[in-house]
Amino acid sequence: MKLEIIETKQDGDAICLALKGVMNIHTAVDFRRQLKPLLENAKQHIHVDLSDVSFIDSAGLATLVEGLQWSRAAEGRHFVLSGLCDRVRDIFELAKLDTVFEIEEGSKA
Amino acid sequence: MTDSDNQLSCNLNSACDCVHVLSSMVEVMGHRVGLSDKEINRMVLAVDEMFANIAQHGYQGREGRVDMAASLQGDALSFELRDYAPPLLKDEMLDWPRQSEAGDDDITPGGLGMHLMRAVMDKIEHESLADGNRWRLIKYLDGEQENEA
Repeated sequence: MKLEIIETKQDGDAICLALKGVMNIHTAVDFRRQLKPLLENAKQHIHVDLSDVSFIDSAGLATLVEGLQWSRAAEGRHFVLSGLCDRVRDIFELAKLDTVFEIEEGSKA
Repeated sequence: MTDSDNQLSCNLNSACDCVHVLSSMVEVMGHRVGLSDKEINRMVLAVDEMFANIAQHGYQGREGRVDMAASLQGDALSFELRDYAPPLLKDEMLDWPRQSEAGDDDITPGGLGMHLMRAVMDKIEHESLADGNRWRLIKYLDGEQENEA
């Protein structure tokens, strides 16, 4: 099982990523490595489309929390998630993170 | 993998990405006892978290054997994971900090995984053995048991 960034769109200060696969302890490490330079390059708006992510565990959630922490570190930054399927949304709810993240309905990337 | 009416078992390598194997076992047992897709997905998560904890904290990222057995005993659906890593002190992993109501600020490595397991399962047991650890995740199908973890 793997996790791929299947699409990246850049528009000014905004970047949209579409992911496909499962986010777990094995795949989150690579995604974290790919996400890190985006966070360091100070984009103002990062959008992560999870439409094709079928499973997420605490390691995947922890990686996304890093994006959340980045967004909170400076004024005007947004780290937005979208396209959560029912299974993934349920795990966000179990972790009580559904109200902490900015989550849009549908996909955008 | 072995299969009987009430039990499935297999041996895994802690270093492999086994979520699909674990998912399959949990899904088969979940469907046999009539759980919903949502409940099965939650149990897949709990078993994945336990497997990840064993791999990350028990074996410290090194390769190691994990025996997994899923069984139905009475109204208890049980997922047992046996590792051969250094035995942990009693409840060492189970006592990891619980996530607070405050949200992401208090998330700690291991803490979120334990929080998710506790949220899903009715009971989480740990037994230190001479040559490893035995972990049991239990879900009572009548839904009336208290969450003890």
